[in-house]
Amino acid sequence: MGTTRLDKVRADFLTDLEQAGDDAEAVEKVRIKFAGRRSGLLLDLTAALRELPKEEKRDYGRALNELKTLINTKLAEVKVQANAATVATEPSSVDVTLPGTPVPRGAQHPVHIVRRRIEEIFLRMGYDVEAGPEAEDDWHNFEALNIPPDHPARDDQDTFYLPGGFLLRTHTSPVQARVMESRKPPIRIIVPGRVYRRDSDLRHSPMFHQIEGLLVDEGITFGNLKATLETFLHALFSDDVEVRLRPGYFPFTEPSAEVDISCIFCDRKGCGVCSGSGWIEILGSGMVDPRVFEAVGVDSERYTGFAFGLGLDRIAMLVYGIPDLRQLFAGDQRLTRQFA
Amino acid sequence: MIFDSDWLTEYLDDAPDLDTLAERLTDCGCLVELRERGDGAEKWDVEVTTNRPDAMNHRGLAREAAVATGGTLLPLEFELEENDEDAAELAAVEIADGAACSRYVARVIRGVTVRESPEWMTRRLLNCGVRPINVVVDATNYVLLELGQPLHAFDLEKVRGRRIIVRPAVDGEKLTTLDGEERELDPSMLMIADGEGVVALAGIMGGADSEIGNDTTDVLLESAHFDALSVRRTARRLGMHTEASHRFERGTDPEMAAVACDRAAALIAELAGGRVCRGRIDVCPQPWQARRMEFSIAALSAFTGLEIPAERVLEILTGLEFAPQIDGDVVRVRVPSYRVDIDRIPDLYEEVIRHVGYGPIPSELPILPTSPGRRNPNWELIDRARDAAVSAGLVELMTWSFIDPETDELVATQPLCPGPSLPLDNPLAQTQAVMRRSLLPGLLVAANANFNKGQRSLAVFEQGRVFSLVDQRPLERERIAVLLADEAGGREERFDRLKGIVNDMAVRIGLPAVSWKRGGSPWLDEGAGAELQTADGATIGLAGILSRELAERWDLRHEVAVAELDIERATEPPLSKFRPLHRHPPVVVDVTIEHAADLSYADLEGAVGDLASEWVEDLSLTGRYRDENSLSGAVRTTLRLVYRHADRSLTQEEVNEAHERLRRGLVERLGVALA
Repeated sequence: MGTTRLDKVRADFLTDLEQAGDDAEAVEKVRIKFAGRRSGLLLDLTAALRELPKEEKRDYGRALNELKTLINTKLAEVKVQANAATVATEPSSVDVTLPGTPVPRGAQHPVHIVRRRIEEIFLRMGYDVEAGPEAEDDWHNFEALNIPPDHPARDDQDTFYLPGGFLLRTHTSPVQARVMESRKPPIRIIVPGRVYRRDSDLRHSPMFHQIEGLLVDEGITFGNLKATLETFLHALFSDDVEVRLRPGYFPFTEPSAEVDISCIFCDRKGCGVCSGSGWIEILGSGMVDPRVFEAVGVDSERYTGFAFGLGLDRIAMLVYGIPDLRQLFAGDQRLTRQFA
Repeated sequence: MIFDSDWLTEYLDDAPDLDTLAERLTDCGCLVELRERGDGAEKWDVEVTTNRPDAMNHRGLAREAAVATGGTLLPLEFELEENDEDAAELAAVEIADGAACSRYVARVIRGVTVRESPEWMTRRLLNCGVRPINVVVDATNYVLLELGQPLHAFDLEKVRGRRIIVRPAVDGEKLTTLDGEERELDPSMLMIADGEGVVALAGIMGGADSEIGNDTTDVLLESAHFDALSVRRTARRLGMHTEASHRFERGTDPEMAAVACDRAAALIAELAGGRVCRGRIDVCPQPWQARRMEFSIAALSAFTGLEIPAERVLEILTGLEFAPQIDGDVVRVRVPSYRVDIDRIPDLYEEVIRHVGYGPIPSELPILPTSPGRRNPNWELIDRARDAAVSAGLVELMTWSFIDPETDELVATQPLCPGPSLPLDNPLAQTQAVMRRSLLPGLLVAANANFNKGQRSLAVFEQGRVFSLVDQRPLERERIAVLLADEAGGREERFDRLKGIVNDMAVRIGLPAVSWKRGGSPWLDEGAGAELQTADGATIGLAGILSRELAERWDLRHEVAVAELDIERATEPPLSKFRPLHRHPPVVVDVTIEHAADLSYADLEGAVGDLASEWVEDLSLTGRYRDENSLSGAVRTTLRLVYRHADRSLTQEEVNEAHERLRRGLVERLGVALA
């Protein structure tokens, strides 16, 4: 009979405690109701012990002790949890304005960043990206491109010569010749790469980088060249830049065109970068000269095509505002780090 | 070339204002690069392309300007009075090499007074950057700038035998040219000789002996057409470049020789007070013949992508003096003598298109099969290497492909050396005289420069080609090199870091399993260098701490770790394959082995790998401690083994038993102690 009552109190306590939940006030009420020093139920139950018959006292006493332990333990647990919660929400304050642990970051050279951007544009237009040797022979670098020995155009491309009649390519164009020798049209390629000219001053470096394009098929027109260059330059700079073609001369194209873009710095108002002209010379281009087709075994009656080339270093300098070409090859890590 | 704006517009009927003129010239392919105030006129720097020698003079450029502005080119007008004395009686011309000199025109002017030129002439010469000398020489220079025909004036008294012979030089002949230099000649060079010897370099420069002086009274005027190649080769061989050679090399107008000779003679007579003798001496072994060509307007329109009306085509070609005649769709032209650049149909297309302007041509993208673009495997490879380095936190540098021969010598001792070096025949500087055979010298120069600029920590790489000369041919190989330097940290840490980066890169690049063998040539510190080898024993790289000797050579103030890899043996890394995720828990056990310092980690790991139970799925190094106090220099190495069974949970007892077998095995095989 006595232990039955204990069972009920035990059940009530657990229910009340659960209902009190995280509410500290409610928990305090539960404590007072069951373990209060003046009127807690445990006092009643302890008092009841004295009234029990001797044979029941032992069982009741043990059960009562268990209940007391349970109630005190549970209340202590709840209190610890409450304290813990308090500790967790109270910040040990962090200075959120501290800089954070730096992540070591690698970086590509700006010339390569620009190269890959340009490759990406042409890959989307279906062009293959080709490669060729930097130590070339005279045929591919000059003769196949309609620059015979003693041609005055060789003056424009001062050449480093190597033993055995080889030379350091003065442009990426020899790869055009190599591809046309080995493949039938339609041909649609770009060729990025390192080139060399025997020239060194503020605006010239004996080593620099170019990217070259070639498209050969039946019925290719000058209008196709124009649209391709406009599309490319809009993708590279912005749709707002104006593109201007004007007649020029390259031995391997006829007609040839120099291509300017409206100055991206002053919007054609005239500034230091465009020497006040409002235009920046950006690439050279033209329709492939039939002599080049004949030299590399492409039927010049059937096919026409266009070619273009531009300086990657110059584009990188323009895009990033690098003033001196030679800084690109000085090996100063602070230059590249800016482009991480 | 520099033009005088006043001179240029003199030949134009209703010339537009200078701004418009400059713009139109630029539009048709003669870029007006710079306009400056000159004396009485503007000075224009016009970029006339190499193929257009006909426009490298005022009249030639005015012809372009007339077509470009819709104006008219006024005829060239001058009056030539001849006296009764027959020039042929006073001098004779003979051409011994008709291939190199297709025409030689001469005139004789007698009784000149050599004095200063009038102001209008010196002003124009100065505006064009030509220094006035005396009225006779100035007149020849003036005509060169006006008509593009180089001329030379001899003092007739000093032409021995009053004979001109155009012939190759004889071995051993010498000539002191107008600039005072003595030139040694050989039979490849074309000369102007008199009755006794050489008096001028044909098409390049006159000789000092027959120069016009203040006492000259009779002048022999030369106006010839020399072969472009012959002049070019001679000028190159002698290292000379003159106004005359510049034009002859590019091709002069064979029909202009006579006109220019008359023009200059008239000028001299007018300004120097002489009398022009009757008749031209005109020797012409190869008369000029006009080239005739034809093209279809429909083909022109198809090529361009723009319908160009026949009238416009005719208008342009008439203005350029091609005498076009139309027959249905076909246009027949006669190429003017001065247009040495026109011999193919696209050349004619260009003449029309550049005057129509590139602006009106409609832009239309070409239509080709929709095949996707592909990158050449070489680009895939080097960008894979570049990306691997960047993701390892390295910063890319670019250094010169050529280095100094002394440094190149050192590369011969590298295990990676690709063969004999590839020198340049004509380097710009001795420090750039040979192509690099290794990327490391460039990186070391860069390291030094970076340290000198106060950089203390470097983690850099370079990707590029190295070169050698194998079987008489250049050989190129793609490489990647790494350099690490940091003030802080010891050499072991530095080496560890390098190895971690290099191994990670090798995997990403797709180099077959790389093993590290102690060594690496005099380039690396004996105690901290390695050669990197593939499974079949081929050396593909070196890595380690740079030897002290080389660090001193490049004056490096911090110790550096370097590595270089030949990446051409790489293959594209295979696609990752999914492995089932483990369902059963692992049992992790450490084993600490105490061993002599000369037992390499590779050997230790190899033994553990051999002896370990098949349940061991992972083995890693967790600690290494060197007891500096022990005489044997003993090392304690702690390895962590992860035991796991794919299909069930292992019991602690099973693992203990397997681990105990491994421990006993290690003691037996390596004679090590277990802690």
